[in-house]
Amino acid sequence: MTTSQELFRAQVARRILTARPELATRFDLLTADGLLSARREITRAASDAKVLAVCVLRDFDLPAWVRATCAFAARVEPSAAANWRRDFTRTVFLAGNPVNLTDRFAFDHVADDGSAAWQGPADAGASTALRRLLKLFDGAAELPTRPSTVVRVLADRDRRGRAPVRRELHVATAGVTIANCLVHLNHLLVEAVADGIVGPGDELVVRQAPWLPASAGPFAALRIDGTSERPDHLRAYTALTEEIHDA
Amino acid sequence: MQTSLHTASAPAPARRSHADAVPPGAAHPRVLLAPITVTPSKPLTPSHLKGLLWTDVMYRATAQLAEVTYRYSPTTYHLTEQTLGFWEHLDRTVGDTDYSGLTEEDIGELYVGYRSEGRRAGPAALRPYAEAVELHGWVHPASARVLQMWAAHYARLGMHDAGLLAHQPPELGLEEVIDRLGAAGMCLDQRAYGGPVFLDATRYGLPLRQIVDAGGRPNYLACVLRELVALAPRFDETVLLYDRELEPDYLLLERTLSVCGATVRRVTLGRVPIDGEIRSARHGDWHDHTTGALLRGAGAEFDDAVLRLGMRLYFIAGLGPGQQQSFRHEALRQSLARAARLLSHDRATDPAPLPEVLSRHRGAHLHVNPYRLTSALLARHRPAPSPELLSAVYL
Repeated sequence: MTTSQELFRAQVARRILTARPELATRFDLLTADGLLSARREITRAASDAKVLAVCVLRDFDLPAWVRATCAFAARVEPSAAANWRRDFTRTVFLAGNPVNLTDRFAFDHVADDGSAAWQGPADAGASTALRRLLKLFDGAAELPTRPSTVVRVLADRDRRGRAPVRRELHVATAGVTIANCLVHLNHLLVEAVADGIVGPGDELVVRQAPWLPASAGPFAALRIDGTSERPDHLRAYTALTEEIHDA
Repeated sequence: MQTSLHTASAPAPARRSHADAVPPGAAHPRVLLAPITVTPSKPLTPSHLKGLLWTDVMYRATAQLAEVTYRYSPTTYHLTEQTLGFWEHLDRTVGDTDYSGLTEEDIGELYVGYRSEGRRAGPAALRPYAEAVELHGWVHPASARVLQMWAAHYARLGMHDAGLLAHQPPELGLEEVIDRLGAAGMCLDQRAYGGPVFLDATRYGLPLRQIVDAGGRPNYLACVLRELVALAPRFDETVLLYDRELEPDYLLLERTLSVCGATVRRVTLGRVPIDGEIRSARHGDWHDHTTGALLRGAGAEFDDAVLRLGMRLYFIAGLGPGQQQSFRHEALRQSLARAARLLSHDRATDPAPLPEVLSRHRGAHLHVNPYRLTSALLARHRPAPSPELLSAVYL
């Protein structure tokens, strides 16, 4: 029998292979120990990422932020997205009010309601001034559970060549802080947009539950990571389902 | 005790002998002096005394030309973690004690013990202390004892006491000031997400600055804002006096108060090094140069007039606004000797009317510059200061 831990490891290994195929030659990604070593190496390297994006947050509202994150990701050029992928779509979340910053800084995307703004992905040096002016976003509060919401993403984008689809976006809440949620959802969404899993006009049904329901699968994209108590024990934090057709 | 703002008015217009201090027909300009306050948990060091004497001379000199409000409210700053944490530490470790017999130095040693303990009390442990301060102006007996001794030093030095022992709550509550700053686009409140509250002047290229931590504890900058955001715009000029180390915060404060409608002047003072080193009072080692020790030493030898003038000559004109010179007992004694000579009236005194003399040292602002005024007392080939100037400003 294949346990969920094995499935999760395979998923994490796949993500590493996509981003950094050369890591597969240094670590045996098929074993638990090899994968853990690879992840530690990635965490170490993340503090010195060459390419990163910056997300400035004034306020955090889950559906609004999901919508804005997809809109930001859709603006990233494929070549920039590929470089960003090599640094595992590293994103720095900063506390700041975009309205106060737009005179001094050029943003690549600003949320419609001004609650968030993005720079990059670009060389880390490009955001040094912004990062010096602001502070890291401290979202230590538990992620609040909200009723299911439908988010229509990239509504203003050209949808030729692809019919909009509907998926569920599952978000785990138990033991998850807002800061954790931002990290996990950000990786999932920006990579899903780059991979074409999320496209113009798509609808995402945001569903929150303490743990991700395995019954909701199969998933088109999954975000797996260790827990803070047990880094070697993997857990699914957020996932996009395959297309759904019910109302 | 009553809530008080200590205001001194310029002499009545009839007594004003010189018109250029205030244009004819104009109302007296209103000036707010808002120096940083000293936390009542330790003896006053030379750095503290320097700031207090500068402010006192500025206050008394400017009060001859304008309506001056000297805002100095220990009440406002009791709410910082530094003070509440000290009080909580005392009650937890020392317990019921009669502090009335302790000296400032004794209480300072307890403070050094608190700082070296390095333990941070949680919000729940500090809450009863914060509530008692907010609701009825409660002061821990250890700090009350320190303030009482400071009031005695002020009296001995002839310094105006703007309410060391009075209950002077800030005009705005914490939530009110957060709301006001938010309305001005200068506040980033992320408490709903488990984050802090920031003062946000990033629009002006100044870095985001935390004023309330994620646990809800305000820092001293939040306290300054509670005190000044509503108050400062009601004056023609607000003068902020502070230590050089706090320059980034005061640049931020200047910008914030300006956005709120105030006209702000910053006066930066260097600390007084001891043996070439600038040390924080939290480490103790104040030894023989606390204000109490200086007064005991010089007070036995010189009368009050010489003591008051000499201290001002040394800490203002002698040390200057910078921090190049270390404190030296010998240099202080020289200033006391200069004071004795100035008071001996062996030279002709300046015949110019007092407002004119003071107006020379105002520059483009409303307040009188204490350094320029005091240095001028020492200038050679100048008439001696008039008895009127000495009694109004220096004695």
